[in-house]
Amino acid sequence: MNDCSNAEIRDLLPDLLHDHLDASSRTMVLAHVAECVDCRDELELLRSLQKTLNARTPRVDIAYVVNALPKPPARRPQTRSIPLSRRRWSDWRIAAGVTVLIAGGSSVALLRRAPESADLRPPVTDSSANRAIAPAGGGGAATQAPANPTTPSPVATVAQNDDADTAEEGQDGRFGGLSDVQMQTLLNELDGLKAVPVTEPEPVTIRVDVKPGGPEGLR
Amino acid sequence: MTDTGAEGSNDLELIARWKNGDERAATELVERHSAALARFAVSSGERSEVDELVQDTFVRAFASIDGFRGESSFRTWLFTIQRRLLIDRRRMEKRRRDRTEIQEDDAATEYDALDTVVADETQRRLQRAVQRLSPTQREVFALRVGEGLSYKEIADAVGTTEGAARVHYHNAMRAVKEFLDE
Repeated sequence: MNDCSNAEIRDLLPDLLHDHLDASSRTMVLAHVAECVDCRDELELLRSLQKTLNARTPRVDIAYVVNALPKPPARRPQTRSIPLSRRRWSDWRIAAGVTVLIAGGSSVALLRRAPESADLRPPVTDSSANRAIAPAGGGGAATQAPANPTTPSPVATVAQNDDADTAEEGQDGRFGGLSDVQMQTLLNELDGLKAVPVTEPEPVTIRVDVKPGGPEGLR
Repeated sequence: MTDTGAEGSNDLELIARWKNGDERAATELVERHSAALARFAVSSGERSEVDELVQDTFVRAFASIDGFRGESSFRTWLFTIQRRLLIDRRRMEKRRRDRTEIQEDDAATEYDALDTVVADETQRRLQRAVQRLSPTQREVFALRVGEGLSYKEIADAVGTTEGAARVHYHNAMRAVKEFLDE
């Protein structure tokens, strides 16, 4: 099979095959093909090749393809977008609001605490109530004790009792209800105990006797 | 000289309709281009899972439809996407083949089995002639002869120049003729 010397016409043969030529080009190519055996043969070969390519192609399942396609943008759920400038303004407002809330809340808390502390401070004749305001042990519960000790609430009573137990250890010089004699015995026993062994092992000394002239194995 | 404008403008209308929420427009686009994509897939050497490949091509195309600027036709753009998918698949298959050490004979057996579907002797010879082309020649030849794309469109789809596409086509045609003359 020979090639036609007219490269321009040969270039257009596939376009003729697919009917992609405009009217004037189509007329020109058809006129050439009518007279040129090589171009006629090539056009016939192109038709056969096209048929071969189509024959090998399986049918595509359109529904299968369409089902997997994404939804159109207009059908997708729209997320409300806020313009950047407006978003910045919103951020500032939120930050300012949070700051005001924190400052205001702290002030209110301080104001509420101040009079309660002042009410608790006055000297009270009852020793248990006096101990209740001591900072050590049960301090948190003590601050919740009512200002008027004559009308104690159940919570205040519990707080006072707890503090009474802990305060008893220090103020009377007694420990857990031990008498002086028992305490002295306990201290003596503690004095008699041996020291706790150290955690680090003591160094071990290894003695190696070296004969004069060095070890024999090195010779 | 060539006239392919009408189909392209319809594609743009269908794309616009789909963007506005008309899902039937997508079905029309698939009906219009799926056969060409399948032909290109088979011509490029894809033997199995052509449906999946065509589906993947459309899914990727519709997912990135905003990237289609209309500089080429929609079909050319689809060919470009499918060609990239084909290259990815071949790479993956090659890696898998390297791992499982499948022999070349196995692939040839599958190839021959498919060949028996083509009953006509002439068609089988033509098929063999096309199969002997280099991958690029085969792609260019399939797009030119099978789809009637211009050299400019082929260059866009295959990622080469118009002149190189023309040379590939003529070399392919010469090789096919030589094979048939043997």
